[in-house]
Amino acid sequence: MALIELKDVSFTYRGSKSQALKNISLSIEPGEFVGVIGPTGAGKSTLCWAIVGVVPQILLGKLTGEVTVKGLPANRTPVAKISQIVGLVQQDAEAQLLMTDIEKEIVFPLENLSLPREEIERRLNYVLDLVNLRADRLRHPFYLSGGQKQRVAVAASLAMEPEVLILDEATSELDPVGAEEVHNLAGSLKSEGKTILMVEHNIDELAKHADRIIVMNQGEIVKDSSTRSVLSDVDFLASLGIYPPQVTQVAQQLISQGFASHFLAGQLPLTQEEGVEHIKRLWT
Amino acid sequence: MAEPVLLVEHLYYRYPTRNNYALDDISLSIPEGEFLAIIGQNGSGKTTLIKHFNGLLKPTRGRVVVDGRETTGLPTSDLARSVGYVFQNPDHQIFAETVRDEITFGPRNLGYAAERIEKALKLVLEEMDLSGMEEDMPFQLSRGQRQRLAVASVLAMEPAILIIDEPTTGQDWKESTRLMELVRQLNEKGHTCIITTHNMNLVSLFARRVIVMREGRLFLDGSTQDVFSQEDTLLTAGIKPPEVYSMARLLLPGVHFDKPLTPVDLGKLLAERARSPRLNSQFEVSP
Repeated sequence: MALIELKDVSFTYRGSKSQALKNISLSIEPGEFVGVIGPTGAGKSTLCWAIVGVVPQILLGKLTGEVTVKGLPANRTPVAKISQIVGLVQQDAEAQLLMTDIEKEIVFPLENLSLPREEIERRLNYVLDLVNLRADRLRHPFYLSGGQKQRVAVAASLAMEPEVLILDEATSELDPVGAEEVHNLAGSLKSEGKTILMVEHNIDELAKHADRIIVMNQGEIVKDSSTRSVLSDVDFLASLGIYPPQVTQVAQQLISQGFASHFLAGQLPLTQEEGVEHIKRLWT
Repeated sequence: MAEPVLLVEHLYYRYPTRNNYALDDISLSIPEGEFLAIIGQNGSGKTTLIKHFNGLLKPTRGRVVVDGRETTGLPTSDLARSVGYVFQNPDHQIFAETVRDEITFGPRNLGYAAERIEKALKLVLEEMDLSGMEEDMPFQLSRGQRQRLAVASVLAMEPAILIIDEPTTGQDWKESTRLMELVRQLNEKGHTCIITTHNMNLVSLFARRVIVMREGRLFLDGSTQDVFSQEDTLLTAGIKPPEVYSMARLLLPGVHFDKPLTPVDLGKLLAERARSPRLNSQFEVSP
């Protein structure tokens, strides 16, 4: 059985006339790294909230269809229980940090679970190393950079040992290097076997780590395929107002300049390294 | 050369509660009609710097001259005639009950005549694509519309200099480029435009000059293409240039660009290279 499964899910927020999600069907297997892209208002955050049960349990409205997480129905399993399986990190890390130092921030939810002291220490040390913040563990989150704050938020989620980590535009307020830190962290979590769902506007970074990309528009999934095949469709992305990776745009331009035979349809280079490697062959 | 519309000379700034300088000896000159992007890591001093341009902050040492007037001693309300400032989050600046009240608030405070205010209102509504929404409540507008309303209410004061702090927050690519297109049109009409942003693709598409801040200092200042061509130097300031510049450096080493590089332009240049074998030795790809 898939780890996360949505069957024909539609959702309308209370008081709203239009559906935020329309007939969404989706399954995510353990260990997958899935990217979610789409214009604002496409339903990306609503999708994340439906998976953790915040929609419809806290953000009220009418949900039809079925969302299951490890077989548990997300619409009627306590959010506290689902959050032990799925961790959610959102755009504004600051809004999620509440303690006076990093260590307290990370152990707070673990103490709430009444875990034994040794177990809390083990998890604390593990996540501090993972996000590379051991040296800063007694600092007040206020004095951290944006990238560091976001890494604290990720660490606090990971200390719960969720099987799935959802990052909902977690890098959008970060500078380019801070954003890269979070993306690389997500990539290394994937190699540790975690399942990742990442909503992201920064497609150049997403292209490096995601196995699969879901494209949403106006509450619907309009594409769900391998990262390469989704991002190779430069015209499709542009039609939705999404900025395709610059590497694929360069390749697309070379194709329209008569070098189509050098590129396989739907298989354009995605990363800078791939692109340079591939384009070099045009004259060597 | 024309008088600079904005002149910064040996500017130092220290927040009252801190020991170190948030701005450390900044000097720069911005001519009228410039389209400038200020970039740098979180905490590098970008926002502290632009808050000096409209007098929200005053130099600890050094001076800032706006439109020929030194900001020290001038109230921000006075500088508002010359400098419009759009905050990162439109909800931090929107307060009125209708779009009309929001837009006309600034000009009314500056004491503009009713006729002039009506004319400005009509013009900015058109420019920001908000016509017909005069009586709407700002908080019922979409985020993108609220952002445009924030710009509109600043433009209504007809400032010579327009500053936009991070025009991309909470917006997708389409909305961001749409707003920037509007800013570009204003720039073409003669407004000096200054933006801060983390989105390097947007900088590359719109700005003609780029300033890189690092730890409170002015680290780089040059044309967009020259700044982005210095990848290794930029990385030490926490900036990654758009991918096309890295690709160009590896595939067309030594080639100088006279305007900001787009993926389409790079594709065309690469196609040219691939078609002209005799140029290959000249554009030898580094190992």
